[in-house]
Amino acid sequence: MHLNVYSQHINKTTKGYQKISRLLLVIGLTFSIIMPLIAMMINIFSVNIIKIVTSTKFLSALKNSLLLSAIATILSVSLAYILAWCISRTAICFKGLFTIILSIPMLIPSISHGIGLVILFGTNGVMTNMFNLPFTIYGIWGIIMGSVLYSFPIAFLMVLEIFHLEDSTPYEAATVMGLSRMEKFKIITIPYFKKPMITVLFAVFTMVITDYGVPLMVGGKCITLPVMMYQDVIGMLEFGKGSVIGIILLIPALIACLVDSRIRENGNKEFVKKEFRILPQKIRDFGAYTICTISSLLVLSPIIVFSVLSFVNKYPLDMSLTFKHLQHALKLNAGQYLINSLFIAFLVSILGVLLAITSAYFTVRMPSKISGVLHLLSIMSLSIPGIVLGLSYVIFFKGSYVYGTFAILILANIIHFFSSPYLLIYNTFGKINMNLESVGMTLGISRWHIIKDILLPLSKDTILEMFSYFFVNSMITISAVSFLASVSNKPISLLIPQFEGQMQLECAAIVSLLIFIINMILKGTVLLLKKKK
Amino acid sequence: MEKLCVINLSKSLSKNAVLQNINFTIEEGEFLTILGPSGCGKTTLLRILIGLDFPDTGQIFKDGTEITNEVPSNRGMGIVFQNYALFENMTVLENIEYALRRNKTLRNSSRSIAMEMVALVKLDEHINKKPSALSGGQQQRVAIARTLALGPDIILFDEPMAALDADTRMMLRTEIKRIQKELGATIIYITHDQEEAFAMSDRIMVMNDGKIIQLDTPENIVTHPANEYIQQFVIKNLEMKIDSLIKYVNTTPHN
Ligand SMILES: Nc1ncnc2c1ncn2[C@@H]1O[C@H](COP(=O)(O)OP(=O)(O)O)[C@@H](O)[C@H]1O
Ligand SMILES: [Mg+2]
Repeated sequence: MHLNVYSQHINKTTKGYQKISRLLLVIGLTFSIIMPLIAMMINIFSVNIIKIVTSTKFLSALKNSLLLSAIATILSVSLAYILAWCISRTAICFKGLFTIILSIPMLIPSISHGIGLVILFGTNGVMTNMFNLPFTIYGIWGIIMGSVLYSFPIAFLMVLEIFHLEDSTPYEAATVMGLSRMEKFKIITIPYFKKPMITVLFAVFTMVITDYGVPLMVGGKCITLPVMMYQDVIGMLEFGKGSVIGIILLIPALIACLVDSRIRENGNKEFVKKEFRILPQKIRDFGAYTICTISSLLVLSPIIVFSVLSFVNKYPLDMSLTFKHLQHALKLNAGQYLINSLFIAFLVSILGVLLAITSAYFTVRMPSKISGVLHLLSIMSLSIPGIVLGLSYVIFFKGSYVYGTFAILILANIIHFFSSPYLLIYNTFGKINMNLESVGMTLGISRWHIIKDILLPLSKDTILEMFSYFFVNSMITISAVSFLASVSNKPISLLIPQFEGQMQLECAAIVSLLIFIINMILKGTVLLLKKKK
Repeated sequence: MEKLCVINLSKSLSKNAVLQNINFTIEEGEFLTILGPSGCGKTTLLRILIGLDFPDTGQIFKDGTEITNEVPSNRGMGIVFQNYALFENMTVLENIEYALRRNKTLRNSSRSIAMEMVALVKLDEHINKKPSALSGGQQQRVAIARTLALGPDIILFDEPMAALDADTRMMLRTEIKRIQKELGATIIYITHDQEEAFAMSDRIMVMNDGKIIQLDTPENIVTHPANEYIQQFVIKNLEMKIDSLIKYVNTTPHN
């Protein structure tokens, strides 16, 4: 009986700890997501909203943003569809290699794509000079090109996933019924792709409309909403005005979120799917090879351009190899900023992974009354654009002791990139047998040991994927951090706009290349670790 | 001797009365089956017996000692779930050995106990395989061995065969009975399969809507059904199965 009372007691204290940590998590997330957003929203009452949203500058920025985002989204998603089709529905070889190459743009900042275009097609650009082009890249078409370049890989991977999940049975049935290709496309393909493609379209649109890296580089006189917000806040410290634009930039993501949840509720049936059996077909496969090869070259062109520009004396006049640009960049402290970035990226990855795992554990493996709230908070950052998060952080944390330190950059990045890794581990945990903890309790194995010895080992690949997501994104981001960084904690990605502003294109290219190489190394390491059993 | 005694047990979940006033006792070495339709409260009762859930009212006694609020691992009971719940990252042997190695008194003999259990459930050839490389029936044997390793004197089964095919079910049925005899364990076994209940049990507890409808030997349930519900749910159902079997035997040409 003595023992009995004692073990009850232990049981109650551990339950207490679990309750407290759950509560702390909810409070922490509230303070780092909800409160800053509210602080930003309060700001708009200090300005004349009507005057801001009816000004010619705002209206033209709004028009530009909507127009270019719509065009870029359609182009990007169409290209993504074509290439995903080539990879998943033809009999070409090197599918894995093509997929890797086509996702490479995800490893450099959006602003680097802008720089790449400037180097190729700018006033003094490589192509402009070589072919004596009568036009330059600056303006809405330049932004569209850059936006397609950097949003393409994300669209591509999303569409590829849709192709992989498609069931071949309806097509076989249709073949038996003697339906034509066109009819199959109309009655099978379109209905299947409609809903997930809407999700992709909204995701890409949101990404493009809230990006300021590309328009900052190649926009020229074409001002977009994010650029306007950036200039208002960074240049003129007009926080009220910035907040108004910030709230407007929240709208597309909110719509995307609502549409997405509606679609998901209706169509999330699990069924046994049959893989597509693809026979070689000369003409089709030749076409697919051509498309994949050209696209791969296009996608790789910024990297190639950076490499050439970084290591030749003076393109195109003096093509001898040199390290002088690298030395110059290092003299301008690029090394120190790189160390800053690595420090930030590692801490964001480690802390972000821990936080996401903890949160998912409480929402999936230990459901309670506040699980719903915790889940909502955890997926919320998906609909907050980086620049909006950055602005709200400036407003909320200004004057507090974390402001201007590495801590705020790390926190901003963790929150900014939290949702996707959280959802990854949420799904992985959800697939693991729900009776494990019960089995553990009856066998005298504590929750902690079940986590350490079973859940985490089973989730190894997911955790590596999460780590790599946090890391790569922390390395390439320029959005939230641009509002928060100071001279002492600036990450290296922010050197790109700075160097570009000082007309040091070679240095900007070197920085882009450095970020790319580090991300490649990380991705490679993760791949190796995943393969290792 | 009275092994387990349940008195006036009731439980509500989200304001639904899931179990109402459950009273019963089990003798040592008995095989008791809980038979009832899906949603009648079988799993909830089992979870309360082993301490994964706690009753709103009522008491549970084991060997004369109250265990109502005892933690699961101190009750000397084991449970086997329908979906095995094996540790997928560990081999068969590691699955069985893991809990033993975390147990202070059994730690030193963990390997030998685990090997004994492997032999008991006849998995000797498979000790180094991961669960995913085993058939459903073999996985369930691992789960049984893992539970038996800690030496519980009451073993609870929650529809352990629901996911298995007919052949495997027949085989595992015999195995479970054999193991029970070898160990002299007391067993509480949940099923919604009338035939299984009648084939395996010393006594059957028929449940519906959170209440015990009848608790008796298979013979007595057939000869003295407590009410219309038993007549319909248990007896009619069995008769139908027997009828179709007889028809099958009569119409199949013997050669
Ligand atoms: N956590 C819960 N909250 C509310 N109701 C529950 C919960 N778990 C089970 N129930 C309800 O309790 C009843 C009995 O469930 P269960 O014991 O699992 O039945 P069985 O195992 O006989 O199929 C069901 O009606 C079920 O809907
Ligand atoms: Mg059940």
